[in-house]
Amino acid sequence: MKRSISRKEFLKEMGVLSLLIATEGHCFWPKNKAEEKADIRGHVFKNDAPKSLWKWSIEGFYYTTNGTDVQCMVCPNRCYLTPGDRSVCRSKVNIGGKLYSLAYGNPCAVHIDPIEKKPLSHFYPATEVFSIATTGCNFRCLNCQNWEISQRKPEEVQHSELFPADVVRIAKEKNIPSIAYTYSEPISYYEYMHDTARLARAEGIKNVLVSNGYINKRPLEDLTRYLDAANVNLKSFDDDIYRGLNGGRLQPVLNTFKLLHEKGIWFEMTTLVVPGYVDEPEMTKRMCGWILKELGPNYPLHFLRFFPRYKLNRLPATPVKTLELLRDVALKEGIHYSYIGNVPGHDGYNTYCHNCHKILIRRRGYNIAEFNINDGRCKFCKTRIPGRWEGL
Amino acid sequence: MNIINLIIISIIGTGISSISVQLITVREFLSQFYGNEITISLVLFCWLMVSGLGSLASKFFKKKSFILYSILALITGLFPLIQISAIRLFRDIMFIHGESPGFYPLFFYILALSAPYTFLIGFMLPYSLAVIKTSGREFTAGELYITDNIGDITGGVLFSFILVYFLSPFKIIALTSSLLILISLALIIRLKRYLLFFGAFLSVALFFGLAFEKRFELSTLSNQYGPNIVSYRESPYGRIVLTREKGEYTLWESGTPIFSAFNITAAEEKVHYPLCQLERIEDVLLISGGMGETFDEILKYAPRSIDYVELDPTLIKVASQSGLLSPRGKVNIIPADGRKYITDSNKRYSAIILDLPEPDTFQINRFYTKEFFAHTKRILKKDGILSFSLIANPNYLSEVRIKKLSSIFNTVKRYFHNVLLIPGEEVYFLASNGKLTADIPQRLRKRAIATSYIDGFYYGNVTKERIKSINESINPNEFINTDFRPRVINIMFNEWFKKYGTSPNWFIATLIGVLVFYLFLIKKEEYVLFSTGFATMGVEMLILFSFQVIYGYIYLKVGAIISFFLLGLLPGAVLGNRWKKRGRAMLIRAEAGMLLLLMTYLIWVTFFPSMMPEIVFLLYGFTFSLLCGLQFPVAAEIIGDKESPAAGLFAADLVGAGAGTLAIGTLLIPLLGIQAAIIALILIKTASTFVILKG
Repeated sequence: MKRSISRKEFLKEMGVLSLLIATEGHCFWPKNKAEEKADIRGHVFKNDAPKSLWKWSIEGFYYTTNGTDVQCMVCPNRCYLTPGDRSVCRSKVNIGGKLYSLAYGNPCAVHIDPIEKKPLSHFYPATEVFSIATTGCNFRCLNCQNWEISQRKPEEVQHSELFPADVVRIAKEKNIPSIAYTYSEPISYYEYMHDTARLARAEGIKNVLVSNGYINKRPLEDLTRYLDAANVNLKSFDDDIYRGLNGGRLQPVLNTFKLLHEKGIWFEMTTLVVPGYVDEPEMTKRMCGWILKELGPNYPLHFLRFFPRYKLNRLPATPVKTLELLRDVALKEGIHYSYIGNVPGHDGYNTYCHNCHKILIRRRGYNIAEFNINDGRCKFCKTRIPGRWEGL
Repeated sequence: MNIINLIIISIIGTGISSISVQLITVREFLSQFYGNEITISLVLFCWLMVSGLGSLASKFFKKKSFILYSILALITGLFPLIQISAIRLFRDIMFIHGESPGFYPLFFYILALSAPYTFLIGFMLPYSLAVIKTSGREFTAGELYITDNIGDITGGVLFSFILVYFLSPFKIIALTSSLLILISLALIIRLKRYLLFFGAFLSVALFFGLAFEKRFELSTLSNQYGPNIVSYRESPYGRIVLTREKGEYTLWESGTPIFSAFNITAAEEKVHYPLCQLERIEDVLLISGGMGETFDEILKYAPRSIDYVELDPTLIKVASQSGLLSPRGKVNIIPADGRKYITDSNKRYSAIILDLPEPDTFQINRFYTKEFFAHTKRILKKDGILSFSLIANPNYLSEVRIKKLSSIFNTVKRYFHNVLLIPGEEVYFLASNGKLTADIPQRLRKRAIATSYIDGFYYGNVTKERIKSINESINPNEFINTDFRPRVINIMFNEWFKKYGTSPNWFIATLIGVLVFYLFLIKKEEYVLFSTGFATMGVEMLILFSFQVIYGYIYLKVGAIISFFLLGLLPGAVLGNRWKKRGRAMLIRAEAGMLLLLMTYLIWVTFFPSMMPEIVFLLYGFTFSLLCGLQFPVAAEIIGDKESPAAGLFAADLVGAGAGTLAIGTLLIPLLGIQAAIIALILIKTASTFVILKG
């Protein structure tokens, strides 16, 4: 039966219909940052491997193969590479059914830094560290300050030639007590780091890993045989932020901390406080809760000030008050040592005894103005101070 | 008033509204994204291309209805508020908060967000003509062109010379859309659609209510700046926003955080690296970057005076009100363009400190050119020092960064005996005829000047090995950087593409393919209009860039330049309408005029690239567009309405204009320089002249 409706009825029905559509549509509309599932994780570069190997290649240490395809097992990306493919970190390729690293003996950055720059505040303060890096990274951090090497292929940069024995020889010649694998992501040049660290250990030189901690258990276990210290980024305590801002996942990083702790490697944790992402005290509380439960209170936690960099250049610098607030949260939660970085002249660079709260190390930048630790103990209350202080 | 007259007035209203919205859209995208000429030309390209598509679509749209036209006119009036709000709100949905997207995401975002409105604008013009013709009234494509131009000119002049100085974008939209909205309402009443009028009236009330509500406008900005906006001003030079988080201020200029509190490292590096080199400091000139701790650091040297030059008075005002800029007795704040100040100044300085962004726009590049360094040398005392910094990774110098540093090093070295690079957080250039040392802490100790960063961190960060490495990395054969051959801009664009791991090649290849296909389809006369549109927008880009090189403040003057171009179209179209019967001979005269003008430009840039009064550029643009305007009615007359209705002609003109904007603005000028761009335009115009001559 045909029924005509009045204009009024029509408008009413249209109104109701619009509301319904709007409600339905709302389901697909991201409501806030937490609901967004941005994921910037990297991808394998198909058919991007060079035709043949170059001088600075070595067969990968951890991978599986079916004779044709390979799967890299160094980091949780577990890149599955068919012949001619290149890994997410850009350093590994499948050539002829074997996995090769193209980052071996070809560092593009070689410098001598103060150990505090890594940052490591409880590891032989005021010593030098011979720092090397090749290209590559298994993350895609939008704020990477070393993107010109971390987001490049080994063939795309100018590099020098320093095979593991050369690195150790130079460190020895220059009387530098440690070697740091740093700047880009050392896990992407795992084989080079591993071999250098092995030789360095044999020569009594210490090895320092500066990393995002995105590594699988077995290769890390293997590396810890030669490792003396690490600074590992804990970029946030939220898997969504890890995926959206860094292109990685949180859990494997937490596993790295647990393993380093189990193996007795000295490490310090660094969190870059990115405004709007990593500046919530609630998140810091949760993070500290996990640290205390799984690792204990002794590993220092550094809060670094963010400055606009690389692709994340439309955010302000972190307010210093936010850094102070997060440091206070960490200390209140029970972390014994928490530092502030990238704010020259701030008291948050100093080390205070967790027992008597007196100043142990007064720092003026990388220089030490006052040092009150004797044989690894507080000069005032004799409490053992966690870290590596032998010979100081 | 009868319906046809109302429609004709609505065409003027559309012009007023659309040109203002175009200018606001350019400024909005500049504020949201990468603030360089690539963004400007991408916006204009999308605008013109999609308008062209809109015009083409109307060619195939058979239904001619007054009521449909009225509704579309009303939507055209109301939509800009949605468009600008959407540009702001969708940014954080499409991209990661705080991220600067690369070329392709930027292009698609611009295209997606501006397409609905621009398509409508393109559709409306020819559609209005079609609707008018159903009434039997005589109204030619040429007359339509003239009517539209009247609106465009009014809008451009209103925006550029009045509204931009006093009002925020939403209020400007409300004012410039008023005529179109009122006429649409009048049309709906005239057509006796009262229920529709009621709905339309409610929409209009909501539109004006939102446009004039400050809290609504601020709420659209909170995605980008966060909820703690303390001050928001639209200055003719950019968008100035001040935010406060945990009691600390951040000052933003056009979406970029230009100052955050407690940046001790930057303040100490920029001041002490140069000033500690001198034995005696009298007068210091600081170009930009005077906020925060900068003056405190300079005052440690007890100079006689500090002249602080900052372009934007609004920025100075906002910074002063919030205490970020705290001038003392010795500090003179001079609101002026830094380059112009240095060019005109006769005062001699002990030190000139530039604290400017990277030279990735023509505006900033002119502070790093041969011509500029010559001026700085002139106003520096004997053994005075010039200092500036550029971004470079302290751990690794990429090939493109070595090129950038080398080009600027070689350029500045022409005027100073000694140039020293210090690889701090940025790479600091120190240039002087006197002696220079890299041992900054030692110099500071000698003068008993206390610092936080340099004292504690310098030797660890700026090691001898790093200093040696960076100074040795300079390639002495790298090209020098000049105003009109901006080598550094080219390098910076390469760096930009490298940062995102992309290349514009796919984009260029696709466009060329589509364009070639289009050119095969169109008629000869349409090709003439295509090439004229191409050349006009190409010349508009040339003027924008040249103007940027010489005067620097494109953000302010972009409206004035566009207005003068529009202003030229009107008398051109009127003359063309009068002389349209003269046919091809008239077209050839206009072609010859354009070629002559282009040759003049080429000669000026090549042999006399000096300061030129502002008005010369504006008159040049006026004359060029006059010739372009003249061709439209003549070509329309030759082709005839049956062969190709107005829609085809408008489309050819707009597509040409879009292609010209992109080819000249995005590719040729940044990559090959201004001369190459002019030569390309001469070739395009020569080709169209041949097409006409062959008949």
